Amino acid sequence: MTNDRDDDIQSYINEILDILSEESDKPVSRDELEREFRRFLDYGVPVEQTKQTLIKKFTASTQTAAERMLIADLQPNLSNVHLLCRVISVNEKQVTTRGEKRDILYGVIGDESGTTRFTAWKKFDIQKGDVIEIKNAYTRGWRDMVQINLSERTSVEKTSEDRLMDQNIEPKEYKISNLRSGLIGIDLTVKVLEIKKREVDVNNVKKNVYSGLIGDETGKAQFTSWHDFNLLPGDVIRIRGGYVKTWKGIPQLIFDEKATVEKLTDTTITENAAETKQVPLHELVERRGALDIEVEGTVIEIREGSGLIVRCPTCSRVIKNDECPTHGRVKGVPDLRVKILLDDGTGSVTCSLSREFIEELFGDKVKEWESNTQSDNNSFIIDELHKNLFARRLSITGNALSDEFGTAIIAKKVKMKPFILVDEVESLTKELEELA
Amino acid sequence: MNKREPAWRVFAGEYNDATLEVKGSGEKTPSYVITPLGAKINRVFIVGVLTDVEPISEGGEMLRAHVSDPTGVFTLYSGQYQQEATDALQRIEVPSFLAVVGKTRTYRLEDQTLYVSLRPEYVREVDAHIRDQWIIETCKHTKDRIHAVLEAKKMNPANVYDLNRLGYSKELAEGVVAAVKHYSNIDLHRYIAMIQESLQYIVPDREQVKTIVTPKREEDKKTEKMKTEKMPKASDKIKSEEKNDPEGVVLEVIRSIEDEEGAAWDEIINKCKEKGLTEDDVEEALSSLMDKGLIYEPILGLIKTT
Repeated sequence: MTNDRDDDIQSYINEILDILSEESDKPVSRDELEREFRRFLDYGVPVEQTKQTLIKKFTASTQTAAERMLIADLQPNLSNVHLLCRVISVNEKQVTTRGEKRDILYGVIGDESGTTRFTAWKKFDIQKGDVIEIKNAYTRGWRDMVQINLSERTSVEKTSEDRLMDQNIEPKEYKISNLRSGLIGIDLTVKVLEIKKREVDVNNVKKNVYSGLIGDETGKAQFTSWHDFNLLPGDVIRIRGGYVKTWKGIPQLIFDEKATVEKLTDTTITENAAETKQVPLHELVERRGALDIEVEGTVIEIREGSGLIVRCPTCSRVIKNDECPTHGRVKGVPDLRVKILLDDGTGSVTCSLSREFIEELFGDKVKEWESNTQSDNNSFIIDELHKNLFARRLSITGNALSDEFGTAIIAKKVKMKPFILVDEVESLTKELEELA
Repeated sequence: MNKREPAWRVFAGEYNDATLEVKGSGEKTPSYVITPLGAKINRVFIVGVLTDVEPISEGGEMLRAHVSDPTGVFTLYSGQYQQEATDALQRIEVPSFLAVVGKTRTYRLEDQTLYVSLRPEYVREVDAHIRDQWIIETCKHTKDRIHAVLEAKKMNPANVYDLNRLGYSKELAEGVVAAVKHYSNIDLHRYIAMIQESLQYIVPDREQVKTIVTPKREEDKKTEKMKTEKMPKASDKIKSEEKNDPEGVVLEVIRSIEDEEGAAWDEIINKCKEKGLTEDDVEEALSSLMDKGLIYEPILGLIKTT
């Protein structure tokens, strides 16, 4: 009996969640919903009526009350947005709208859930590092991102540091593979792989910064420390505090004297920190970028722009008719490259293989291909590249980065990686026996 | 950033079983076909035997082609908007091993039955080695999906978040959740059997393997003649096994009597009857061999090996 009722409740809750997800931008916790639902039932309210009441309740609350939102939950085209956040960067700019010159502010704000760009149409008095409470702002979608807009009607108030830091940003444990742009309050245990000191000029004050490479069992990342924690290569450390900035998807951890850095004696946790990790392509595409990883996949396309090319001798840009857009008339340098699309069935990345890699893979054949190819017609060599590379499996090691065209790997090492049929059949057969 | 759709590795048997479709509403929201094992497919990468190409419109600008793998047959429709693929399909000899990158294409009959096919973006002739590599890869991916469905069935309710945390891609997690909801009683054994059959296809001299796949595969089409010379040996071996391997018998019979055009249906049946098979056995074997891409029907009533 109870089971039947439980099943029914679950299916009602599923229905309500479906409706709420369509009608409201604010996620509703399943547990909370279930608790409310059961309370109504305990009071003997019929289920259908309970359902209607709860839908009303949850959709209404998101429309009228301006409760504080997290940046991660922002959607395009919301109004009356309430945020508690830190100003990560702020810049001034003059723009002309409808023939009128206006000073605006733009920059990045962040809270414990993430960061976003903002534009302020009024010169609010805010500085980098301020913790502010924003009320009655609105959002717009821009190139896959949500951007927050502060208008004349928006209120921005400086508030105490503690409201954001102490209550909300309890550092959370992360692994390097989970580091994403804008995360703050990082708790990370890593091995220092490389470290370099350099001097920089901040507002005319000379400061030492320490930057380098850190690694854990999931990957590698760059770091920058604005404080001397006496770190040495090989140290295993736990960093608490700090935030993540990315460049084309490659993560960099940034921290300063406000972070706690503890040297650990148990170094087993990061034993394989220096190793190159293999990453499935769906994960790489989702991470957007990564340092020193290995991927495996099948070449499913030889792309436009492959074959014999001519480069500008000064800037190495690919040029046509010995004419460089920057350097004018030049004597072009012939080169060879192949642009491939590598796909492992879960995701795909592009990679441009230089002559060096092509020769490594195919040896003397490359010279032969080239001598059979006319300078103005690539079809012979493209055909050979197809025969030798298309539908073949490759392993590529290198750094991955993303831009608006997708994720690409900058290859450091490339090799053919065919399946050994007999071995694969054997292991698959075994696994199937377990399944069957 | 526009995310590029991954090219799924899926057997024809699984793809053609799909009855669930998620329709997108424009460029930015693509359409997907969701298979019983939760592959949420917009693009595929397949390798198989191109068995036939025929024009289906008057001017010949629209082609229909079939590509067969060990589990079934993919149907391809290629037209003027896929000019390169269309040209290639017209040029490539039948039969040959073909690799195709293509998009899903669906057609719903009045009775709501869903027909799935492919619209090629990129086709290329490949060799037997590449076909074998693809079969292995597709076996692995099919097996992973079976695992994902099993995991989803353990959850109550099945959800994307937990599947994603187990390491399955977001697309697969979404596909599996939708599949578990849509397909009542997913017959996992059917797909386990598909993988097993495909594996037997790859490594012919294993114990469980029937003789059907022995001769043709590792060799190039050009060594055809050598093979006919080797034939007596092969058929000796078959004699002892013919009772439990009608497909092997039928295949050998076709090879022994086919010419350029192929071998006549009636003649195949008669020869096989001499070897102790019933007409039903033969018909069943023929259709199974066709599914596996080992034979095809160039003209109605004539059968040819690939």
